[in-house]
Amino acid sequence: MARAVRSGTRVDTVLLVACCVMALLATVLPLNLREAIAGGLRRTVVAPLVSLQEQAVRGRSAFLSRDATTSRLDSVALRNMQLAKLETENERLRALLGLGRELQWGFVSAEALRIADIGEEHSRTLTVGSRVGVEPKTPVVAPEGLVGMVRTVDPNSSIAILWSHSDFAASAMSADRSAYGIVYPHLSESGRDAEIPPERYLMEMRGVAFRSALKPGTLIVTSGLGGVYPAGIPIGTVLGELRTSEGWARTYLVRPAVRPTDVSNVIVLLPKRIQGQSLERVWRSATSADSAARHIAAAGDSIARRAAADSVRAAEAAAARRAADSVSGQPVPPAATKPAAADTARRPQGRADTTRPAPRRPDAPRPGAQR
Amino acid sequence: MSWTRSARAVLAFSLLVLLHYTIRPFLGWRTPVDFLVIAVLLSAVRVRPGAAALIGFCTGLVADSLTPSAFGAGALAMTAVGATASWLKAVFFADNVVLHGFFFFVGKWAFDIVYVTAERRMHGVELATQILLWSPLSAAATAVAGVVLLLMLRPVLEPQAA
Repeated sequence: MARAVRSGTRVDTVLLVACCVMALLATVLPLNLREAIAGGLRRTVVAPLVSLQEQAVRGRSAFLSRDATTSRLDSVALRNMQLAKLETENERLRALLGLGRELQWGFVSAEALRIADIGEEHSRTLTVGSRVGVEPKTPVVAPEGLVGMVRTVDPNSSIAILWSHSDFAASAMSADRSAYGIVYPHLSESGRDAEIPPERYLMEMRGVAFRSALKPGTLIVTSGLGGVYPAGIPIGTVLGELRTSEGWARTYLVRPAVRPTDVSNVIVLLPKRIQGQSLERVWRSATSADSAARHIAAAGDSIARRAAADSVRAAEAAAARRAADSVSGQPVPPAATKPAAADTARRPQGRADTTRPAPRRPDAPRPGAQR
Repeated sequence: MSWTRSARAVLAFSLLVLLHYTIRPFLGWRTPVDFLVIAVLLSAVRVRPGAAALIGFCTGLVADSLTPSAFGAGALAMTAVGATASWLKAVFFADNVVLHGFFFFVGKWAFDIVYVTAERRMHGVELATQILLWSPLSAAATAVAGVVLLLMLRPVLEPQAA
């Protein structure tokens, strides 16, 4: 028994010494030999463990980069959203530019700021006032159609009510002048036999003669009666007839041409422009408010195209002048090397622009716009 | 040791080796848990010192294959730790969690000391920082993990008689 224990102890010692010697030898082996042994182990016995370790490291990297990836995705999504917003705003501004071109004179453009107070969601503060000729009861329009009316005016700002305001009313007619009535915001269905559910952001056209039946989709425009709104501004399209207790007149539900949420940049028609003048030509040949807005936007594009063409012509003229100067051997004065601006190039040629009211940008100050 | 107990011990050893190559790189701590040391220590207390030395040597060689610059250092350290643990196993016969934790702590620390000494890569302050700061912290993490694993693996390592 004691011999067996001693023998076992001797074997243990031999194994321990052998292992220690081999390990020490491994530490002092030449590098290429060590690499060969290690490589052999990695390719055979340790290969599954190496694979596991690589996957674990990859998993850790993915876990750590998750926050950064999420953050990048968020920023890309945010930028995408902002781009869409910018595109929409750009489109609206181009449409406004087109409307300005169609109106030609007697208007000022303004920014419509939303009033934050509770109960004032149907009003907007305009960034123009009496200094540029704005007066109470002047109409406010957008490329799509009628927005509302100026209520109070300060020197540099004014407050306008939207068509959704409870005080709003406008004399209206169908685009073919077959039916006349008064347009109000559609506030409630109380006391009516409602077939169409109540909707705050709709209008209703009341007092239409019983003989005048309007089909859904009919364009409603201002009639010019009453002297506040000139004729021909799109108000909306007929959705359907409302059943009322009044047996001598019809009331129609109207989908507005302008949504209050879209009101950001507007045009204020100055009193001089609206006195007895129809604006039907501005939204002319349009069978619906949507196509009218598209027409106006196209006009805005034509302004941009014309400006681009002017600048190209001016650059070509300057280049030709420089070439002629260099051929004649005369030094070119510094001023001549600058491309001539479109306006300076046009004026000496006596273009019709100088003899008639020039189309102007809606936001440009113009003495003629004053009342 | 019966075949059943041997198989269970091998299973637990394999599980710890797997944890060493999956959990450890995934956590990526500065003071990593050394599951290989836990595996060698748990095996060493169940076999004779010679076998423990051999287990330590083989385990160390496997670990060294991934660090060729320090090839042999891990094998030497594991051999020493395994053999010593096997000789000292009588001390740890007591079923005491704190004692087991201390056992893992000392085992890992001793392994690190032998490893960095045999590796001959660190010198001076760096060596002292490694041995006196990072190694004890790593040993502490290993001790905690070892105790938790021991409690979890107890049904496998020491099955109750039916």
